[in-house]
Amino acid sequence: MNRFELMVLLQETLQDNLVVCNIGLPSQELYKINDRPNYFYMLGSMGLSSSIGLGLSLSIDKNVISIDGDGSVLMNMNTLATIGNRAPSNYTLLIIDNGSYGSTGDQKTFTNERTSLKNVAIGAGCEKVIECFGNETVKNLNKALADKDHSYVIISKIKSGNVTIKPIPLNPITIRDRFRKSIGLVSYL
Amino acid sequence: MKISKEIISNLKKGGANFFLSVPCKLLANMITILEADKDIYYSAIPREEEGMGICAGAYLGNKLPCIMMQNTGIGNSVNSIVSLLQLYQMPVVFLISYRGTPGEPVGAQGGMASITEEILDTLRIPMLNCSVQKDLEKISTFTNHAKVIESPVAILCNFNLMKED
Repeated sequence: MNRFELMVLLQETLQDNLVVCNIGLPSQELYKINDRPNYFYMLGSMGLSSSIGLGLSLSIDKNVISIDGDGSVLMNMNTLATIGNRAPSNYTLLIIDNGSYGSTGDQKTFTNERTSLKNVAIGAGCEKVIECFGNETVKNLNKALADKDHSYVIISKIKSGNVTIKPIPLNPITIRDRFRKSIGLVSYL
Repeated sequence: MKISKEIISNLKKGGANFFLSVPCKLLANMITILEADKDIYYSAIPREEEGMGICAGAYLGNKLPCIMMQNTGIGNSVNSIVSLLQLYQMPVVFLISYRGTPGEPVGAQGGMASITEEILDTLRIPMLNCSVQKDLEKISTFTNHAKVIESPVAILCNFNLMKED
């Protein structure tokens, strides 16, 4: 299973939740498969999907899912320590770990060698850490969302490989405003 | 403590209600105040760039975030400011301890001090320079200004202002 195939499988769970999605191909795939106002597409700032989702989950009561990649988490690894110490139970970090920098031409990341993000997350203080294969991801994500007492980090191990896809044509302010509106807190939009 | 109390009180008056910090000894009193404040969210975090991401999320959740850090932290955060906060027009208040300004005992801080305002200028981020206590009165309006213009703003607290606090 590659990331595109996983993204298709995830839709039933993702589509009714607030989702912050990693820059590049993950966001472009999500947009192509099932564009939703409750999906926040990152257009820049690689590495910060987990952090944006965390800030949101600390500010509202609804479930928030950050979709991140192994390369992006490696770029902002201190995020796992912050999540381990501060993430509320409505926060789930889904790391799609294909062992490669997919958006830049599939160069291998360190998770393809000696680094285990599962072990890093546990060492950083994350209490509920699940590493699974792609086909077990939906089940584990549903479990994480249903648990009202704990935050989860799920690491979904899949194959590398990309589909040909276009950049997202939405204006950043459009992405921002429709996302904020979908949360239901902002009346003027 | 008097200066720190006034700064926090004016930030809150301006609407800031979600605070993060990356430590600096000049921010220590503000951190102590925030840790005891039950009206707002506060956490320390390990790195400024990550903080920009957390602030972006807090803004999406309808908060007005403030990140407290040394001016060195601006150097760590340039891309996240431009490609996240400014790209999506997100108001965030940077409360900056301006290390390397006169009074500073650590010579090595001079390097970032000499380019801090130039970086903020290049980024087109409005600045409020606080060097005497009277300047602190402007903080609440300036904080609210971030929300009005949907942009990050920077409040710089000079070494000599903070060192006696």
